[in-house]
Amino acid sequence: MKIVTKSFLRYLPRRLSLSLLQLVGVACGVAAVVGMTLSAQTALRSFSNTIEFLRGRSTHTIQRPVGPMEEGFLSKLGEDPAVKWLSPVIDRRLRLENGESVRLLGIDPFLDRTIRPEIYRIEFLGEGRENLENLLSFLTDERAILIDSHLKEEFKIGTASILKTKKGPLHIKGTFPNPSGESLVLMDIGHAQKLYQLQGYIDRVDLILNDESDFIFRWGKGFFIQSSLQRRETFSGMLQAFRLNLEALSLLALLVGVFLIYNTAMFAVVSRRRDTGILRSLGANRLEIVTAFLSEILILGFLGGACGGLLGFFLTRILTGLLGSSISSLYFFLRPEPVAWSSWIVVIGMGLGCGASLLGGALPLGELIRTDPVKALSGRIATPESARKAKRAGLGGMIVLFLSFILFILPGAHVYVGFAGVFGFILGVSLLMGVIFLMLHPFIKRFLGRVGGLSGKVAAGNIRQNLGRTGVAMAAFMVSLSMSIGLSVMIGSFRESLIWWMDTQIRGDLYIGKIDEAEVPEDFFEEIKRIDGIGGVHPYRNVLTLYRNTSINVSAVDSTILKKYARFGWLRGGNENWEGVKKGGVIISESFSRRFNVKEGDTITLEGIKGPEAFKVIAIFYDYTTEHGLVMMDRTTYIKTFGDRRLNNIGIFIDPDQPRRAELLEEVRRKAEARGLPVRTGSQLHQNILDVFDNTFAITRSMRAIAIIVAFFGIAGALLTLFIERSREFGIYRALGFSTGQVARVTLIEGLEMGLVSFILSMGVGTVLAMLLIKVINLRSFNWTIFYFPSLQPYLITGITAILASLGAAIYPIWRIFRTYPQIQIREE
Amino acid sequence: MSEPIIRITNLWKSYEVDGLGVSALRGTNLEIKKGERIALLGKSGSGKSTLFNLIAGLDRPTKGRIEVEGQDLETLGDKGRTLLRRAKLGFIFQFFNLLPTLTVFENVFLSLELANRPEPELALNALKEVGLKGKERRFPNELSGGEQQRVAIARAIVKRPSIILADEPTGNLDTTTGNQILELLTRMCQETGATLIMATHSPLTCRYATRILRMVDGAVLEENSFGEMAH
Amino acid sequence: MKGLSKKENLKCFTWKRDLTIINGELNKFFLFRLFSFLILIELLFSGISIKTYAQEWRQAIEPWKWSFPKDHGAHLDFRTEWWYFTGNLRSSLGERFGYQLTFFRQGVFPMAKDPGFPWGIRDIYLAHFTLTDVSRNQFWFSERISRKGPGLAGASERNMNIWLLNWKARMEGKRINLRARDEGMALDLVLTPRKPIIFHGKEGLSQKGRKKGQASYYFSYPNLETEGTVKMPGTQIPLQVKGISWFDHEFGSNQLAQDQVGWDWFSLHLSDGQDLMIYLLRRKDGSVEPSSSGTLVTRSGEGIHLKLSDIRVEVLGFWKSPNSGGKYPSHWKIKIPSFRIEIEVASLVPSQELLTKGSTGVIYWEGAVAGKGLSSGKPITCEGYVELTGYAGGLGGAF
Repeated sequence: MKIVTKSFLRYLPRRLSLSLLQLVGVACGVAAVVGMTLSAQTALRSFSNTIEFLRGRSTHTIQRPVGPMEEGFLSKLGEDPAVKWLSPVIDRRLRLENGESVRLLGIDPFLDRTIRPEIYRIEFLGEGRENLENLLSFLTDERAILIDSHLKEEFKIGTASILKTKKGPLHIKGTFPNPSGESLVLMDIGHAQKLYQLQGYIDRVDLILNDESDFIFRWGKGFFIQSSLQRRETFSGMLQAFRLNLEALSLLALLVGVFLIYNTAMFAVVSRRRDTGILRSLGANRLEIVTAFLSEILILGFLGGACGGLLGFFLTRILTGLLGSSISSLYFFLRPEPVAWSSWIVVIGMGLGCGASLLGGALPLGELIRTDPVKALSGRIATPESARKAKRAGLGGMIVLFLSFILFILPGAHVYVGFAGVFGFILGVSLLMGVIFLMLHPFIKRFLGRVGGLSGKVAAGNIRQNLGRTGVAMAAFMVSLSMSIGLSVMIGSFRESLIWWMDTQIRGDLYIGKIDEAEVPEDFFEEIKRIDGIGGVHPYRNVLTLYRNTSINVSAVDSTILKKYARFGWLRGGNENWEGVKKGGVIISESFSRRFNVKEGDTITLEGIKGPEAFKVIAIFYDYTTEHGLVMMDRTTYIKTFGDRRLNNIGIFIDPDQPRRAELLEEVRRKAEARGLPVRTGSQLHQNILDVFDNTFAITRSMRAIAIIVAFFGIAGALLTLFIERSREFGIYRALGFSTGQVARVTLIEGLEMGLVSFILSMGVGTVLAMLLIKVINLRSFNWTIFYFPSLQPYLITGITAILASLGAAIYPIWRIFRTYPQIQIREE
Repeated sequence: MSEPIIRITNLWKSYEVDGLGVSALRGTNLEIKKGERIALLGKSGSGKSTLFNLIAGLDRPTKGRIEVEGQDLETLGDKGRTLLRRAKLGFIFQFFNLLPTLTVFENVFLSLELANRPEPELALNALKEVGLKGKERRFPNELSGGEQQRVAIARAIVKRPSIILADEPTGNLDTTTGNQILELLTRMCQETGATLIMATHSPLTCRYATRILRMVDGAVLEENSFGEMAH
Repeated sequence: MKGLSKKENLKCFTWKRDLTIINGELNKFFLFRLFSFLILIELLFSGISIKTYAQEWRQAIEPWKWSFPKDHGAHLDFRTEWWYFTGNLRSSLGERFGYQLTFFRQGVFPMAKDPGFPWGIRDIYLAHFTLTDVSRNQFWFSERISRKGPGLAGASERNMNIWLLNWKARMEGKRINLRARDEGMALDLVLTPRKPIIFHGKEGLSQKGRKKGQASYYFSYPNLETEGTVKMPGTQIPLQVKGISWFDHEFGSNQLAQDQVGWDWFSLHLSDGQDLMIYLLRRKDGSVEPSSSGTLVTRSGEGIHLKLSDIRVEVLGFWKSPNSGGKYPSHWKIKIPSFRIEIEVASLVPSQELLTKGSTGVIYWEGAVAGKGLSSGKPITCEGYVELTGYAGGLGGAF
C-alpha cells in the first residue's frame, strides 16, 4: 500500500472511538435499509408465493361477484367443453383459540389433487392401523383437518391431536408440506361447508381451462372469471399503496444513512485537510489524495456495511413479524417467514455501505480535492469561508425547495412524485440548515451566554466556527427529528380522524358478529327484530368484489336506520342523501371517488348475479375502512343485485329515552350468546378498530426509532470530532485557567445547543412534513383525507428525545475530557 | 556563475480578505543562483510564505512570472508543478508538518515514494545523517521539536532536490537546537549542492546564509552588508 | 386384515402413490383395488366396518332376478360395480382404432351417514378412458376419480346413466351414448346391441373363488354396433368411425381370493358372427384358478358357458414394457376344441399399457387385439380387447 494511503488509513485505529462511532453510524443506516427492504421484500414475496402455491396448476377461477356460489353449478361446469379440470374451494379464515387466524381451505381431495398436487404429500399421524384410520377419517370425521408444516411446528403435533379453534376443537389427522409463508389448514369440502354453515355453497371454483374466451362467453354473466395473472394482479393491487409506503420508509432510512455518511466523510475531510496540504507540498497529486481518502471512507463503508447487513438481518426478524401483522390486519392474512440467513446479506450490506459512502463522500471529497494546500498549511480555519459555504448551500436549498414545491403542485401527479417532493423538501431544508443556524446564532449565543455563562459563550462560538462539521450533524439530526414529528403528527391526526369517523358511522349500542365474516344467521336477525322496544336493528353486509378489475368493497346497509341513527361525514349534502339510497342509488367512499374519479351524479356499473347493473352515485362520504374504495347500497338493492342474503353483523340501536334500555340490551346479548355469536358494544368495537390501527403503524414507529438512533450517532460523532479536533484549543483553555468541569460544560452545552437548534428547526420542518404526509402522500396513495389535528405530544416527546440524545451524545466526549484534560499541554502536534 | 535556478519577474499576489483586496507581493523581482543559501528576512505577514508557496507552485501569482531551472511555472501546469515539487523541491516548515499517522521512517520514505524512488536504504541513510538512527519507528508525537525538524530535513533532503525551501525552520525551537538544525541544514545543502532558501525573522539565521534578502511590504531588497558580515 | 398387518410400518404415503401396500393383494377382478386410497378404505372396512356399521354389503350368493332397464343402473347394496366398454373401430379410410371407457363405483359405507348431504362419502367413482390409433401405433389414456358430490359423479339406480364430470354413458331406448373428453382426446359414440344380453356363469352369477359369496353378478352386451366420432390428441377434427363394441356390467361385494395375482380377460368378435369371452384368474403358484371360465355367444345370440377345461390358451409371444418393466403376453393361440375354434391373436399396438403414475399409480395392460384362425374348419378373422393385470412387477414397481 502506498504510504500516502497509509497516512490516511492510520487514522482509523488511531482515533478508534471516533472510527467506531462512524462505523456504528454507517451500520445503523445500512441496517435500517437492509432490514426494511428485506422485510418488505420477504413479506411481498411470501405473499406472491402463497398466491402461487394456492393457485397450483389452475389457470382461472370462477366465483360469484359477491359472496359464495351455489354448488349446483359444479356439474354444469364439469360438463363445459372448455373446462379441463375443476376443483371447488371453500376459502375461509379459521380463528384459533389463541386469537391467531389461519387460512382454511375446504377442498375435495379427489378433484383438488390435480390442481394442487404439492399439497397431497400428506403424512398421516400414527402408525399402522391408526395411520390408516386417520387417513380415512379425513373423509368421514366432520371435524377432521390436515395441518401444514408451519402449524405442525407451532403446535408440536403428536399422535392424536386437537387444534383448538373458536369454532371448537378440530381433529388433526395429518400434516402436509407448505412451501408458502401462510399457515394453511385443509378440510374436506363437505365438512368445511358444515363448519361455516355453507351447505350448498362454495366460495369459488379453481379451473384449468383450455379455451378462455369460449368459457367467458358462456359464463361471463353473473360470475367473475379471473385468470391467475389477473387474480395475482388484483391481490398485489390491494397491497400497492402499502408497498409504496414501505418503499418510501426504506428510502427515508437510506436518506438518513447517506446523511450520516456525509457527516462522517465531512469530519474526515476536516481532519485530513492539513495532511492533504503537507502531502501536496511534498508533491502528492490529486489522484493519490483521492485514493487515500476513498480508501478510508470505503473501509468504513465496507465494515460498517457488513455490520449493517448483519444488524439488518436481525432487524428483519422483528420487522417481518410487524409487517406480517400489519398486512394481516389490513388486507389478508399473511405470516411471512423471516429471511433466511445468507452471506449475500452481508455482501449487500457492504455494497450499500460503500455506495452510500461514495454518495455521502462525494461532496466532501470534492472539497478535499479543492483544498488549497497553502491555506491548509497555514492552519487558517476559514471562518468567513464556512459562512459563505453555508450561504451557498442555503441557496441550493432554496432551489431544491422551489423544485419540490413545483412537484407538489403538479396536477394529478402520481404518489411517487409526491414522495420525490417530500425528499426534496427534506433535502432543501437540510441544506438551509447552515444559513438558518447563522441567523439564529446571535440569539442562541445570547441565550447560552446567559444560561451557561462563559462556557455557553465559548460553546456557541465553537459551533459557529465549526459550522462545516456541526451544520451537517445538525441537519442530519434535524431530519430525523422532523421525521419523528412528521410521522407522529400524521399518525396522531389519522387516529383522531379515525375516531371522528367512527363516531359518524359506528353509533350502535351493540354489534353482533364479526365484520370480516358472515356468520350471523338471517333468522337471528329476524328474531332480534321481533324484540319490542328496540329503535333499530341494522343488518350489515360487506363483501369484496371487482370494479374495473380492481378489488373494492361493497356494503349493504339499511338506509332507513342509518338515516335515523348514523351521522355520516358527507363531502356534500347531509342526511337527505339516504333518500336516494333508498331508491336504489349508491353512496361511495371518498377513496372510491378519488381512485376511480367518480363524482356525485355519475353512474357506476357492478357485475351482479344477473349481469352488469348500473347504479347512480348519490353522494360521497368520508371513510377509512378501506383504501380500495367502498360502495354502499341499501340492503334491498344489494339482495336484488347479488342474491346474497348473508349478514356480517347486526347493529342494535336503542333510543336514548327508551326506559327499558339496559334490559333490552341484556336480552339481545343473551340471545346472541345463546347462538354463540360474538357481541361487542359500540365502544368495544371502536377500541378494536383503534387496536388494528395502532398495530398497523407499529412498523412506522419502529422506523422512527431507527431514525433517531442513527441521528444519535451522528450527533455523538460530531461532538467527538469537535473534541478531538480541538484538543489544541483545550490546551489554551487550560492555560487560561478553565477547569475540567468548565471544559466539560462547554462540550455539554455544545451538544445541547446542537440538539436544541435541530429540535427548534424540526418543529417547523416536522409540522410541514406532517402536512405533506397528510395532504399529499396519504391523499395520493390511500385516496383519503386525513384531517389535521394539532397535538402537543409529538413535539414534547421529540423535544425530550432530542435533548436526551444530545446529552447522551456528549457523554463520551465529556468522559474523554475528564480523562485527558489534566494532561493536555499547549503544544503543537 | 551559471543561469539562475530561480528567476522571479514582477511578481504580484493579492488576496481578498473580508471583501478587501490585500496585496502580499507587489512587483517582486529576484534571481537566485544554484548553490546559493538565502536568508529571507522579514516580519510576520511581510509576504515570505506567499513567496515560498508561489515558488513551490502551490499557489499561483496574480501577476508576474516565476521560472525554476528555466521553466515557467505557469506553463508547466498543475501536473508539471506537482512533478516539480516531487523531484526538485524540498519543504521544511516552522511547525515541522510531519504526518502524525506515519512513523519517522515512513515520513521520509513517503517523499521517496512520491519522487518514484522507493528505496528504503536512502531513507535510512538520510535519517542516519540527521542523527536519528534508531528512532525510525517512532511517531512524530514521540519526538522533541528538534528531532521532528530533523525528520523534516531528512524528508526534504532524501530525494536530493535542487531547491530546499525552509519556512522559519527554527521558529519553533530554542536557540541551541535551532543552531544545530541550521548547521545540519546548511551542511546537507552543501553536500548535495542544493539551493537553500530560508524564510526567517531571526538574524541568527543569516550566519548560515550566503546571501541575505529582506522582504518589506511585499518587495524584496538585498541586504548586502549583513551578508558580508556573515563571512 | 392380513394385508394390513404386513404394512404396519407404513407411515407416509400420498393419495396417489403407495402401491406397495397392495403388492400381492391385487384382486384380479377389481381393478380399482389398485387405487391405493380405496384399497386402504377397503382393507380397513373389511376388518372394522362390520363392527362399526350395522349394515353389511350384500353378497352375490343367489342367482339374480334380472329386470331391465333397472339392472343397467347402479346396485348400491353391493360394494363394487363397473360398466366396461371396449371396442374396435375403423374410419372411412380404413384406419383402425380402439377405445376403452370404463366406469367404476366402489362403495365405502353400506349406509350413508348423512344421506341428504351431497359431499358425504358413500361411494367413490372412478373412470378410465383410452384410445388406440393402430395405424400410427399410438396409445393414450386418462383417468378420473371422484365422490358423488353435487352432481360431480354418479350412477342412476333406474337405468344406465353413469357419469364422472364430462365422461358419461347413458342408455336411451336401445342405444347407449358414450361421451368422454380429456386433454386432446375425445370420444362420442352411439352403441346399438346386435345381440341380446348374455348372462355369464349361472344366470349371471359368476363364481370367482371357491367360497360362497366369492362371486359377482355379471352380464354383457357381447356385440354392439358402434358409430360416432373419436378425436386423437394432436388432431383438430373428430374422425367419423364405425365398429364393434363389447359391454360388461358386473357387481358384487366380496369376490377376492387371497392367492390370486392377476387375470387375463379376452373379448373377441369372430368374423363368422360368434363372440368369445374368456377370463383366466392366475394364482401365485402359476396355476389357473379352477373357477376361471368363459362364454361363447353364437351367431343367434345364445350364450354358452365354457368351463376352464373347455378352454386352451397358449402364449406365443411377450412384450416387455420399457416403462414399468412388466412382461406381458402379447401373442396367443386360443382353442375351444368343443366348438372347433382355433385362433391366433396378437396385440395391435404393443404399448397399450396404462401407467397412471401421475394420478392413481395403477399399471395394467388393456388393448385392442386382432387375429385369424379357423372356426368349424372355415378360415375366419377376429378382433377384440384383452386385459392383462398383475404383470408389471409389483405394480408399485416405481417404488
